[in-house]
Amino acid sequence: MSRYRIGVDVGGTFTDLVLADAGSGALYTGKLLTTPRDPAVAIIDGIRQLLDAANLAPECIAGLVHGTTLVTNTVIERKGAKVGLITTAGFRDAIEMGREIRYDLYDLFLEPAPTLVPRRRRLGVGGRMSADGEELEPLDLAAVREAARALRDEHAVEAIAVCFIHAYRNPAHELAAAKVLAEECPGLPVTLSCEVAPEIREFERASTACVNAYVQPLMQGYLRDLEVRLADMYIDAPLHVMLSGGGIATVAQASAFPVRLIESGPAAGALAACYYGRKLGEPDLLSFDMGGTTAKICLVEGGQPNRTHEFEAGRVRRFRKGSGIPLKITVVDMIEIGAGGGSLAHADSMGLLKVGPQSAGSEPGPVCYGRGGEGPAVTDADLMLGCLNPGYFLGGEMDLATDAVTARMQAVVGEPLELSDDAVARGIHDVVNENMAAATRRYLAEKGRDPRRYTMIAFGGAGPVHAYGLARKLKINRFVVPPGAGVTSALGFLVAPPAIDDVRSYVVRLDALDPNEANRLFADMEQAAAAQLVEAGASAESVHFTRSADMRYVGQGFEIQVPVRDGAFDKSSRADLHEQFMITYEALFHRSVTEVPVEVLSWRLYASAPPPAVDVNFAATMPASTRAPTSRRLTLPEVGTVEAAVFDRYALTPGDRFDGPLIVEERESTTVVGPDATLSVDAELNLIVDLHQMNQP
Amino acid sequence: MDLDPISLEIYWNRLISIADESAAALLRTSFSTIVRESNDFATVLMDVDANSLAENTGGIASFNGILPRTLRHFLDKFPADSWAPGDCVITNDPWLATGHLPDITMVMPIFHRGQLVAFSGSIAHSPDIGGSLWSADCGELFEEGIRIQPVKWLRAFEPNQDVRDLLLGNVRVPDQVLGDIEAQVTANQVCGERLQEFLDDTQMLDLRGLARTLIERAAQSMRAAIREVPDGVYRAAIDADGFDDDETHIECALHVDGDSIHIDYAGTSAQIKRGLNCVMNYTDAYSAYPVKCALDPETPRNEGSYHPIRVTAPEGSILNPRFPAPCNARQLTGHLLAGVIYKALAEAVPDRVIAECGGAPTMRAVFSGEGPGGVRFSQILFASGGMGASHLSDGLPTTAFPTNAGAGSIEAFESVAPLVVWKKELRTDSGGAGRQRGGLGQECVIESRAPGPLQLSLLSDRQKYPASGMQGGQAGAGAAIALGSRATPHPKSRTSINPGERLTMRYAGGGGFGPPEARPREQVEADLLNGYISAAAAAASYGFTHGADGAEAGSEPPTQGGREGQPGDAPEGQSS
Repeated sequence: MSRYRIGVDVGGTFTDLVLADAGSGALYTGKLLTTPRDPAVAIIDGIRQLLDAANLAPECIAGLVHGTTLVTNTVIERKGAKVGLITTAGFRDAIEMGREIRYDLYDLFLEPAPTLVPRRRRLGVGGRMSADGEELEPLDLAAVREAARALRDEHAVEAIAVCFIHAYRNPAHELAAAKVLAEECPGLPVTLSCEVAPEIREFERASTACVNAYVQPLMQGYLRDLEVRLADMYIDAPLHVMLSGGGIATVAQASAFPVRLIESGPAAGALAACYYGRKLGEPDLLSFDMGGTTAKICLVEGGQPNRTHEFEAGRVRRFRKGSGIPLKITVVDMIEIGAGGGSLAHADSMGLLKVGPQSAGSEPGPVCYGRGGEGPAVTDADLMLGCLNPGYFLGGEMDLATDAVTARMQAVVGEPLELSDDAVARGIHDVVNENMAAATRRYLAEKGRDPRRYTMIAFGGAGPVHAYGLARKLKINRFVVPPGAGVTSALGFLVAPPAIDDVRSYVVRLDALDPNEANRLFADMEQAAAAQLVEAGASAESVHFTRSADMRYVGQGFEIQVPVRDGAFDKSSRADLHEQFMITYEALFHRSVTEVPVEVLSWRLYASAPPPAVDVNFAATMPASTRAPTSRRLTLPEVGTVEAAVFDRYALTPGDRFDGPLIVEERESTTVVGPDATLSVDAELNLIVDLHQMNQP
Repeated sequence: MDLDPISLEIYWNRLISIADESAAALLRTSFSTIVRESNDFATVLMDVDANSLAENTGGIASFNGILPRTLRHFLDKFPADSWAPGDCVITNDPWLATGHLPDITMVMPIFHRGQLVAFSGSIAHSPDIGGSLWSADCGELFEEGIRIQPVKWLRAFEPNQDVRDLLLGNVRVPDQVLGDIEAQVTANQVCGERLQEFLDDTQMLDLRGLARTLIERAAQSMRAAIREVPDGVYRAAIDADGFDDDETHIECALHVDGDSIHIDYAGTSAQIKRGLNCVMNYTDAYSAYPVKCALDPETPRNEGSYHPIRVTAPEGSILNPRFPAPCNARQLTGHLLAGVIYKALAEAVPDRVIAECGGAPTMRAVFSGEGPGGVRFSQILFASGGMGASHLSDGLPTTAFPTNAGAGSIEAFESVAPLVVWKKELRTDSGGAGRQRGGLGQECVIESRAPGPLQLSLLSDRQKYPASGMQGGQAGAGAAIALGSRATPHPKSRTSINPGERLTMRYAGGGGFGPPEARPREQVEADLLNGYISAAAAAASYGFTHGADGAEAGSEPPTQGGREGQPGDAPEGQSS
């Protein structure tokens, strides 16, 4: 039986673990320092601790789902494999030339986006397909062989990527090259662009293939090793890995396309928010996850996060679009802002207060950690404002030192800007909230959405501290803080449905669409996806397919994703697709044009199986508390200084209801509620905060 | 208005965010690839006195500077008290707006509690404006397309049907042209709605106090930056290919006086009878922008940023032509101004500037005609030369400056036009030698697969005058074009390309910075290994011979015209 499952999230600082008992709904959690040199050490230790706490034998574990920042970090730290790239002659520089845009309009000295494969290891070979997939020139097999030998002997590469022009349309040349590579370089991992990202646009496809090759040797070794160690401790449950789009893959699938793991951690947070949304009966919501370095905001509609098919890895300027390597992979569509508890404040040359994106991280951390941090951080401001309790940080495991904070705030911000202590702290809190609000407004505006329509789910260490201020700025009427904000992300691994997605390019104007070609593409994708989901443990009959197409008016530069009906394509499909396109276009842009012809670029399939049945019951494992309510001074930018009631979360019970201002403390986080808001506790022990702003969308 | 630094920071960010939301709306609803793939647009929020307050992040620098000027012309014709909610005024007049006909400039008023409080503005490059398509060889403005003087496109949200019919009857792709204009209306409306919300949230009645503060802050920041530059008059001059025998000469005197700068182009060539003339608005915008990049790159830009910078050019010159001079390819002249300004500034602050760019001006090939089955198409190949080097780093390869138009995918390009691109690759030895090397240009080879001849319009420069180096750095390789058997097609002409013929475009490299002999040996070696330079160039430019048997040194011989411009440049920027 599949009663016990474990989720493991290996982050930059902490490894979080959750063991869920599907029978009772009980949840056991663990948090250990990550062991960067050998991440499996913390994983194995953590699992042992969980098994002890739950008093279980390893054989009882029926499943393990894993997410990791290893791929992201390998790219950021440039610690991947030595890769060779083989391209169509004349196009070996595509990954270096990129989109030819400066990502900062005013910086004359900007650092270019990274190129993981230097030019000397990029070799062009003859052979050419047309945009229609016809062979214009046969593949020069001798040149491929020569390139393979050069990469093997002269460059001693550890992995090879192949990207030929129009391979998304006709992969024959890439497949033929793979055969030669298998002969010449047996055992060397090879990534084909037609397999990892069969989509039009050579720069993005080649970049995706290169990043995949770059992280593949490391990830293959890591996952293989982790399987062996799990087997050594008698866990024989299959190991699964979360993909950036929120799907679950087997180790074999993850090893073939490790680039797809790049956002597995953040995806889990969004999926956890969806899970709470389902339990709350709120299908449309904003997931707000604020940690030490960044805040992540994700729009959820109809109980699902949006997915997007573009991502940027390894940015040289972390929050600047265009400064990284573009990847054609499916990721949960969210924004990441340089706003966290560790974000540092400073006064700029204009005499303005700035916060972030630089972060104090966990070492040395904010000034109040007392570990040598010198820059005032958001956490320092939150402490001075009374949001945080210096004696109850991490449940009292860590003392926060207030004495040094004021001096540093004055030196760095107060004196240059001629501001009082109080004004500095309020300013930092307010500016970081505004940074998040501005980014959220833009993110939603691009989708034509109004923030006032959504409930916000706040988690992560700093999320519940800033949710009230952010909600006010966005005019959101309600936010919810689920129990155990610190493990919310890791829970996402256990509640995610097994899912996989695939894509094929077939660029065609609707009036020229060949139904047979479309049928062939989907048959292909459905067969492969079903096989993979069955391999991942789903039953064949439970697999559900959702089709879509990337379409646009002829002449437009970018596509919109249009839902496509199930069933075989025939003559009537053209009209059908056209109608679907018009409906989607109008919904997005509130207008359409009838006379312009429409074309399809890519065809997508999303295959999923039902999510595992987990009904978490926090009450079962929540520690008992008898801490009586107290009160303390709380200052908030919007409302000034007030006396706020302070509650222990573990002492709250369903049905409790209090008016703000108030503070709720728990081990991993603190929820702050200003005046003009009411807190209520629901049956699942969620904190529901309603703001009385009377904002009608 | 007395605002504390926190409120000011928050309000300022909020206004920039409003301009960005407006840009996002334009981007997601526009039709043309010019806007969407090449980034050729801008959105600006302006106060009632036509001062820019905030502009979208990453727009086209010249557009941002020009919009407020155009609004002032609008206000001359339509005084402030005559505007009603839902009015919308447009123009594409080169002298009132962006310097050539294809750009549509649009402004709408923003009302709050019944009072006019601001204007939203946008500019986008239209996919077609009738006339000669995008070309450099017309003899006067009227050949270049239809000219719309300031006119109401909407009156209180109601379309002005007469104007609409007139415009759409004069363009080749009316649906796309209309689609893009409507996208601009959407963008301007989004800007207005967001500003109203902002005023509600902050309980401000109007923007006057805030505007004055923001503009003053930006001006102060620029003034402080200018004060760091020693007073003096710094002079420089450049030459450009011009048209046929009409070479063009640009003379620049940069007067730094305390906290202000006056850029004067006296001595510059007279206007010519081809489309290279650069109207004053464009001259002004592309003079102030490079100064901001060099001296004050971090402050968000608004009207105040350019207050301390004054630009003058003699009337009737190529930088301030008289109506109706042809000006469709004004970028071929305007893009050069950054280079001459930096040459002048290098005398005073060499660490703040870069050498001349191979991507200035841009080089474009416009293909149009019929593909298989008689389907009409028009397609522009976007690609860039290399950037100039700086004291800090090598120039970026294949990146345009001062414009920021990008390049699209070749696979996408081939899927909509009967063209095959056989090569789009970095051009070995095109970066000017120097302690810091100029950025590499590229080489593109395009073959026509159309059933019959296609029209081809070429817009290019830098064949005779490559991008010069700075502080002892050498010039980059010049541009070169070959078409079929014709070794040198006219670089600024409309011609035709036959089925099976190949067009070879070699994009110019950027200038180097500092003497080549000062370049660290390991960097020369790495350049050689990566084929950025050939063994021959390593020896000739850097005196590097040892270990020159690198495995994959570039195979391309040094290109013609590469270094003939200004070999071994003397130090730049002679000041008086």
